[in-house]
Amino acid sequence: MAQPTGGKKPVLKTIIYGVVSVALYAAAFTHANTLTELFSRGSFWAAGPILTVFVFSYAHGTFASNLWSCLGVVARPRAAKRSAARPQARATINA
Amino acid sequence: METLLLDTSKFIELNFQAVGFLFIVGFIGGLVSGFIGSGGAFVLTPGMMSLGVPGTVAVASNMCHKFPKALVGAIKRFRYGQVDIKLGLITAASAGVGVQIGIMIQRAILDRWGQAGSDLYVSLSFVAVLVIVGGYIMMDAVKCARCGGEERPSSLALRLQKIELWPMITFKTSGLRISLWFTIPVGLATGMLAATIAVGGFIGVPGMIYVVGASSLVASASELVVAFIMGMAGTVNWAMHGMVDIRLVLIILAGSLLGVQLGAIGTTYVREHMIKSVMATIMLIVAVSRAIAVPKYLVKLGIMDVSEGALSIMGSVSFAFMCLALGVGSVIILGAMWKGRRVEVPSRA
Repeated sequence: MAQPTGGKKPVLKTIIYGVVSVALYAAAFTHANTLTELFSRGSFWAAGPILTVFVFSYAHGTFASNLWSCLGVVARPRAAKRSAARPQARATINA
Repeated sequence: METLLLDTSKFIELNFQAVGFLFIVGFIGGLVSGFIGSGGAFVLTPGMMSLGVPGTVAVASNMCHKFPKALVGAIKRFRYGQVDIKLGLITAASAGVGVQIGIMIQRAILDRWGQAGSDLYVSLSFVAVLVIVGGYIMMDAVKCARCGGEERPSSLALRLQKIELWPMITFKTSGLRISLWFTIPVGLATGMLAATIAVGGFIGVPGMIYVVGASSLVASASELVVAFIMGMAGTVNWAMHGMVDIRLVLIILAGSLLGVQLGAIGTTYVREHMIKSVMATIMLIVAVSRAIAVPKYLVKLGIMDVSEGALSIMGSVSFAFMCLALGVGSVIILGAMWKGRRVEVPSRA
């Protein structure tokens, strides 16, 4: 799983997105009751939880990806570039 | 701003233990989802309910964390060339119809036999599907492992691919060409199972492998596209009714986004039969868990007589087996990744 990587580790990116993630979580849980009450109103408020999870997924997802890279947990390069066999071209007659 | 009090009939007060439990299960569920394309929901939903979350809020909150997790996993695996977007989209479209059929069946059973009948139907469906499909996958995985881990398309898929029935569709990433009419049943069954037991991937992934003919890697990765679309549609529906508890969602998401990426990375280290092995192992253990829960519903229907104490123990054992399924799955994944790494490092030296 973890393996030494020759490339540069994205330490700065991890720290930036980590700070952004922590800030987002802190903001959300500071106003947790308000958010929960608003999002439980339904109807057009349905956009609230959906937009929230997209924002969190972007920030925290990028942080998580970079964190694993920093820890040396990266995809096996050979497999990462692997492509599936393409279907054979079908014989056609150009009449 | 005025502090608003939570409606305690819908939203629970969170403590440190609940947060820790949701984060850890989110991480392990994410790890399994990133690797086999689905999983986690079967522990998270009852897990939230055991914390006191009402069933509908647990289902809605689970769904709301599932679709962004699936999106992140799908993007990661797309970068590895494993996602067949067309296959995922077609399966998701037919799964949408399957969900509606599944809901209609559920409603008919609910009207005819009540809540206990509906619960019994769900549990029996769980046990039947998981034992039959999980057993078949396990046999195939063992056969595949004995033959050196090389995966070959099933004879059924090869036969279906030879039938020229309009419209024929080429799936480039999967490297196959098959009639649309053979992909639709896979999507329908996925949707019906998702509407019944909330884990459509237990049919979707094997369907894509054994009926359509995709590899385990492509099928499990494309299932993440299906999970994203279905999860998002489901979330819109639940959120319109105000059933999502955003606090639970964000806690689970914190763990699952870490897990799903690890699971996705793991697929690049293992042989393809490992995906089948993990999926089959989880399915068979979950089947045991659901089988243990069946007597509770038989008692409610007056078919069986078991003491309250025994039923309570059975409920706890059933939940423990669910957790065991997820735990065993994650241990196999991490073990296989570790083994893959040990093979990789000397080869680089």
